[in-house]
Amino acid sequence: MGWFSPKGPARNHTALLYDRRFLLHDTGWSHPECAQRLGALYGGIKNAGLLDRLLIRTARPAGMKWLEAVHDRSYIQKFKQACKSGEPYFGHSDNAMGKETFEVAKLAVGAVLKATDLVMRGRVRNAFCAVRPPGHHAGRSSALGFCFFNNVAVAARYLQKKWKLSRIAIVDIDVHHGNGTQALFEEDPTVFYYSIHEHPSFAFPGTGREFEEGKGLGVGATKNAPMPPGSSDAEYEYRIRRDLIPVMNDFLPEFVLVSTGFDAHANDEMADMALTDAGYAAVFRVIHAMAHRLCHGRMVSVLEGGYCLPCLARLAADHVRILLDE
Amino acid sequence: MFISRSMTRKVVTVGLGATLAEAEALMQEKRIRHLPVVDNGNRLVGIVTDRDLRSAMPSCLCTPEEGNAGLSRFRDTRVEEVMSRNLVTLSVANTVQDALLLIQKRRVGALPVVDENGCILGIVSVRDLLQSFINVMGIGEPGSLLCIVAEHRLGEIKKIVDILTEENVSIGSILVSRHWDREKRAVFPYVHTINVAGLKKRLSKAGFTLVDPVSWYMENLARIPGKGDL
Ligand SMILES: [Zn+2]
Repeated sequence: MGWFSPKGPARNHTALLYDRRFLLHDTGWSHPECAQRLGALYGGIKNAGLLDRLLIRTARPAGMKWLEAVHDRSYIQKFKQACKSGEPYFGHSDNAMGKETFEVAKLAVGAVLKATDLVMRGRVRNAFCAVRPPGHHAGRSSALGFCFFNNVAVAARYLQKKWKLSRIAIVDIDVHHGNGTQALFEEDPTVFYYSIHEHPSFAFPGTGREFEEGKGLGVGATKNAPMPPGSSDAEYEYRIRRDLIPVMNDFLPEFVLVSTGFDAHANDEMADMALTDAGYAAVFRVIHAMAHRLCHGRMVSVLEGGYCLPCLARLAADHVRILLDE
Repeated sequence: MFISRSMTRKVVTVGLGATLAEAEALMQEKRIRHLPVVDNGNRLVGIVTDRDLRSAMPSCLCTPEEGNAGLSRFRDTRVEEVMSRNLVTLSVANTVQDALLLIQKRRVGALPVVDENGCILGIVSVRDLLQSFINVMGIGEPGSLLCIVAEHRLGEIKKIVDILTEENVSIGSILVSRHWDREKRAVFPYVHTINVAGLKKRLSKAGFTLVDPVSWYMENLARIPGKGDL
């Protein structure tokens, strides 16, 4: 609780980055990464009566300078061009898109950058970015698994370049391995990538084994926790306590970015995990407490996957409650 | 799957006159464990392995004098004295399957590939075979594994492939395995997509049982009949 005061005039504890324009990224008929996901999620937060406790901010598009801190200029141009000319998808048929997708993707990155600004300026302690399209499968010049720009990766570079932070932790709890994020930072000892996900022999994208521990100077700054299908709340919580906390105690992050995917939930059909609402809360509490202990609670959580609409509503509300220190 | 596509073509070889010390240095430099020995006409006459070299080295139990004597003998010995001449080789007409079975049967780590005159054209190591397996399984590219139980009868796999095709999914590989129920087969398509929820629904609708990977791997693998049962 600390300095949070519900009646306090200016300072909120937690920001919610949300923008109706995120709904304009049109993936077409019966695509799992659909606009309704955000509707459900926002509705969940609203119905839980949490909106007036949050600092709510819309997005502004990320500048090319920041996108290029992660992505190749030619890739960004190709994406822009493909979108403009009305291509139905980009790079792979999974990555469905509409006319607005390029602009919305820039907005999603921009929302995350804005959230990091709010935290770094001390306006809020932490933030949740309810954005789409998601980002953690996107690589330097590859769109994959519904992702175009790697939102979290751009934020990590932004924190280093604009806010002069040295050590950023990215904790990825989406059920899929964030192969894009890993590839972007595997040679970089200043950005620690930790991911807990369904074992790659069973789930997309087929990477994220324990022996993937970084390359070159970055050896030791990548850690993967592949979980057998059907893993439970207790197994997840045990694993993340056992292997995230010690490496973070050594790494001493100055900022924690969370790739928050809600697709490890038992009711989510995209993968085979068995987490309940309680398990999600427990896992997120561990990360939240770690950020408090190691970096003054500076944390920005960014939506990745999660395709079960009723689950998204409940899980997002729980997620925000934890950010609010409840 | 002809072996010529999987073999290493730039073969590192030594001549008959090379010493063990030279062979050892070469293997260390090139990070290889199998060194074909060729005559003046590039014809394969033998192969030395890192194990052959190790057994020619003085034992660590030797006294220093014995060790030094052994070491100088090791340095001066020519490879033809320790190489194995009883060679298992392949021709370019052989396949990856031949190589797999032969490597398993003869318990060797690498197979030289020779032409009709016995001249060396390439070499296939266990490592090369692993790489070709990774390629065949398609797991070098992002994708998801489906686990499907199908009746063991003609046309079932076609149905599965048709559904995947209709869903516009590119297929990395399809492995078929025995099932504990003799009338059934377990089919594992590796598909290059994240979007498996819709696929699974369509396959279930078509009457296939989608196996929960947990029950498949954790509980039932042990129940599958072993080699020779079928
Ligand atoms: Zn996911």
